[in-house]
Amino acid sequence: MTEAATSSPTWATAGADDADDLAGASLALARRFHAGATLWCIAPRWPEQARHVAVEFVHPVIVGSRALPAVHVGGPGLVEALRALVRPGDVLCAVSGADDATVADTFRRAPAWGAMTIWIGAGPRPVAGAADHVLWSDPDTDPALAPYDGSLSLRYHMLWELTHICFDHPGLLTPPEDEVCEGPVCVTCSDEGRLAEVVTATGDLDPEATVRTSTGLERVDTTLVGPLPAGALILVHAGSAITVVGDTP
Amino acid sequence: MTEPEHENTGFLYPFIESEERDAGPLLADLAASARAKALLSKSLAAATIEATAGAVEAAARAMAQRFEAGGVLYTFGNGGSSSDAASVATLFSRPPSGRAVPARCLTEDPAILTALGNDVGFELIFARQLIAHARAGDMCIALSTSGGSKNLLVAAAEARKRGVLTVAMAGYDGGTLARSPSVDHALVVRSDSVHRIQETQAALAMQLWRTVQLELARKAA
Repeated sequence: MTEAATSSPTWATAGADDADDLAGASLALARRFHAGATLWCIAPRWPEQARHVAVEFVHPVIVGSRALPAVHVGGPGLVEALRALVRPGDVLCAVSGADDATVADTFRRAPAWGAMTIWIGAGPRPVAGAADHVLWSDPDTDPALAPYDGSLSLRYHMLWELTHICFDHPGLLTPPEDEVCEGPVCVTCSDEGRLAEVVTATGDLDPEATVRTSTGLERVDTTLVGPLPAGALILVHAGSAITVVGDTP
Repeated sequence: MTEPEHENTGFLYPFIESEERDAGPLLADLAASARAKALLSKSLAAATIEATAGAVEAAARAMAQRFEAGGVLYTFGNGGSSSDAASVATLFSRPPSGRAVPARCLTEDPAILTALGNDVGFELIFARQLIAHARAGDMCIALSTSGGSKNLLVAAAEARKRGVLTVAMAGYDGGTLARSPSVDHALVVRSDSVHRIQETQAALAMQLWRTVQLELARKAA
């Protein structure tokens, strides 16, 4: 017998150390839904988890709760499928371990797609900044068993429950002005190092590339960084690509 | 164990709701609510595991015997319970540790589900698949929160007719499913919150899996 099958059941340790994270994620999700977002649910290794998240929102178990747009996207070519589907203002929710490379690759593109990210999982946490909201199981939860012992479903159930409580507070569903635009220089309104994803490959002859940013498509000059393949992530400043982010696809 | 299905928290906030601007009180209330829900989930799972220990043991012994003899496990449910049924099948057939045994969820193929739903009716989507696949010596786990899903009841009856061991998980008071004469082992999660029932059903299924694994290891020794 191996350790996982004989050690004490992990349900006994299921708690909510991430209660404050859940609260923040729920209000942010309610605000996005209020503004017309779709929730895209992914779980490359445990597709049934993402399907459960989607059905939670689309067909609420509590009669009278709003049906909200949530979709499970799975199968091969996940990044390509999401790239075509996700619109600015949408939300991506992943259920996976922090070591899931597909989720990590999807989430690092999310700012260029204008999408908010929620990462639900167990075990070692994702690196700081990997998602806007991280809803993580207690450290003593066995990450290998977390998809089966109810500790992940507890988290997305609570996300649904708390999001619906937020709808009872219409005054809070629109972010206050100072949260939208803060300080003397606003990074949203200025041209300060915005993440962009290259839409079509560029060559030596044409230094202009069409890129996708959180606000839509735009043309940028790529002279500084050279030819770029489609899907590359770059930082854009003042109409120019100033650096390539991470590995090119 | 119960909890209100919808918390009316409006009275906690002194502002007219549409003019409410400070998110602080709401966030604090949401976090408190999350802690209470997590605690309830944990205590419901612990109480259920204790209350069903005998039934789980008996079901696991019967299942281990059938796995040893080459039996296959079929799982099914509706809605969120269909994804939970898929998780159970994955746990048995591709376990993170221990022995892999044949298990399959009957909601995996939309072509099959829509063909059956369209041609013979939704009540038969699982029963018809059992007719095609199940043999005497196989086993099934039906997952329901209400315990009243017609297609699960019909499938359990079909399973019984074909010599398939039937395990049922249900919430509330167990409903018609838990009391069905076609069900060999009924595991009831006594709660009226669908979410908390599902979380505990997962814990219960994992307890069943653990016990089957221990039984299989004992037989192999």
